[in-house]
Amino acid sequence: MAEGIILENVVKTYGSGETAVHALRGVDMAVAKGEVVGLIGPSGSGKSTLLKCLGAVIEPTSGKMTIGDQCIYDNGWKVRDLRALRRDMIGFIFQAPYLIPFLDVTDNVALLPMLAGKPNAEARKMARDLLDALDVGHRAAAMPSQLSGGEQQRVAIARALINRPPVILADEPTAPLDGQRALAVVGLLDDMARQFDTAIIIVTHDEKIIPTFKRLYKIRDGRTVQELQG
Amino acid sequence: MISLAGRDILHGWGKFVLTGVGLGLLIGVTLSMAGVYRGMVDDAQALLDNSRADLWVVQKDTLGPYAEPSSLTEDSERPIQAMRGVAQAAGVTYLTMQIAHGDKDVRVMVVGADMGEPGLPGQPTHLISGRQIVRGHYEAVADVKTGFAIGDRVRVRRNSYTVVGLTSRMVSSGGDPMLFLSLKDAQAAQFQRDSDAIVRQRARTATNPQLNPPGNPAVAQAVNAVQAGNANVNAILVTITPDANPDDVAAAIRRWQRLTVYTRAEMEEILVQKLIANSARQIAMFLVILSIVSAAIVAFIIYTMTIGKIREIAVLKLIGTRNRTISWMILQQALGLGLIGFIVGKIAASLWAPFFPKYVLLLPSDSILGFVAVMLICTLASFLAIQAAIKVDPAEAIGG
Ligand SMILES: Nc1ncnc2c1ncn2[C@@H]1O[C@H](COP(=O)(O)OP(=O)(O)OP(=O)(O)O)[C@@H](O)[C@H]1O
Ligand SMILES: [Mg+2]
Repeated sequence: MAEGIILENVVKTYGSGETAVHALRGVDMAVAKGEVVGLIGPSGSGKSTLLKCLGAVIEPTSGKMTIGDQCIYDNGWKVRDLRALRRDMIGFIFQAPYLIPFLDVTDNVALLPMLAGKPNAEARKMARDLLDALDVGHRAAAMPSQLSGGEQQRVAIARALINRPPVILADEPTAPLDGQRALAVVGLLDDMARQFDTAIIIVTHDEKIIPTFKRLYKIRDGRTVQELQG
Repeated sequence: MISLAGRDILHGWGKFVLTGVGLGLLIGVTLSMAGVYRGMVDDAQALLDNSRADLWVVQKDTLGPYAEPSSLTEDSERPIQAMRGVAQAAGVTYLTMQIAHGDKDVRVMVVGADMGEPGLPGQPTHLISGRQIVRGHYEAVADVKTGFAIGDRVRVRRNSYTVVGLTSRMVSSGGDPMLFLSLKDAQAAQFQRDSDAIVRQRARTATNPQLNPPGNPAVAQAVNAVQAGNANVNAILVTITPDANPDDVAAAIRRWQRLTVYTRAEMEEILVQKLIANSARQIAMFLVILSIVSAAIVAFIIYTMTIGKIREIAVLKLIGTRNRTISWMILQQALGLGLIGFIVGKIAASLWAPFFPKYVLLLPSDSILGFVAVMLICTLASFLAIQAAIKVDPAEAIGG
């Protein structure tokens, strides 16, 4: 299987000297295209830190990160425009959906292609198709504040998928959802991964969804341990 | 493209519009202040226009008759009249005073105009009803702003006058409406002393052997006549013939009559640069303060609006929105606020201008200048908010 994400010996130390926090001490990880892996670990173990490094939001201290066949970090950033990297390569899903409150559901999803200069009508058509696929098409004209938590989360997923990024990073995406809906969201991400060949990492504490991952990474002492399930 | 600013404004338009209206009232005050200044300049110009003079001849070395007291004898008029290039010359008196109107009183500028022949400079113009003063005495023409009506009796000092005509926009440089009397009547009002003072003056003359030489009562009589006389005017208004050059005529009068003469341009400069200069500076101070206050308010509002959206801005940045796009959103909102403010301010200023006691003149050019200033202030004011938005770390969107 072709690799979607490869992390080699990624180290992240916050601060320096006495107060240094060694959040990641050498993480190795590989996620195939079309694969969804879980990332678990105790609180403060560095899960969010790992997503931020891979998401080009913070800079690792050392190591190597590759997305698809592009090396993005090798003891230093290999791409100049991190903003464009995030826009084109990475979809983010958070614990809270963080939708833009003054845009309706369609435009929340269509925002990125519209800002990238795609004609509004075309971007909205893409957004509606995606919303339909995620089963929230009937709420396309609503404002975010009028949606249920699960619907909001599905809109956030649609937003992360709109640019067909090769990587999706989800930080506790099922936290606000009940068991049924949590499983539905993970199932959805699984479908999306297969359909669009996306490599997906889901950080979670959620006991209900942990068994659904075929492959699971555990972080302990700043290092990852791989576990196979089922 | 999608307008983030527009969508945000539409989403919370109530708050936005209310804020804009508040700002607008402030801008309205600012525009009115400018209008007050323009009104003062316009009043001064109206005063000069309405007197229909080309030259003002005043007491030597004074800035009279509007900016300083000036007094010269009426008979200076005749030699001026005879000079080459002079078409007409007429004495005028100006006296600002309170006069009774019913149980209240109004501040007016009593103008004594030479009614000897129609069309002399200094006579009332812009008659909107009634007629000019035709009888030698006890008739008056009043500006409508005095509140008098035709047929009213006006008491000025010792005499009563009947209002026979009404004018519009005949005001002093201070904005006080004018009350025209014939020159003789106005001179009496301005220079005549009361009876007791005249009696005392005569007694003093009688006891002075030089003024009342024994055996020659005619001398004392002559002295009394001179003292009681009031043949003074505050200025002589001169019009020139079409072929004459005002500067040349003015130079000739200065040279041959040894009087101070001002041309229209010089008079305008005296009024605008000297008489209303302090008020203008006062207003300029106000304009500066109001601009600063408006800027502070816009900055504060835009800043709080932006801080309220920090989460969304972090998400926008995380998913790859350019700083430029976010800054433009904030700037557009500031400009939108300025636009609403300006429109509200312009309407407000136009609505309340007529209720000001003095003339408020809202010039379109001032409005355009005001609009540019508002937009500039809003641009500067959004700087702080843009700064804050640029500093937002996209990592904040991910949280722990
Ligand atoms: N900006 C920072 N500066 C300094 N230390 C930090 C910073 N962010 C995180 N840390 C530290 O790094 C370690 C890992 O934090 P991280 O947020 O990655 O944990 P996590 O696994 O996501 O925890 P949780 O499950 O509670 O979300 C923690 O000890 C945390 O205190
Ligand atoms: Mg975390």
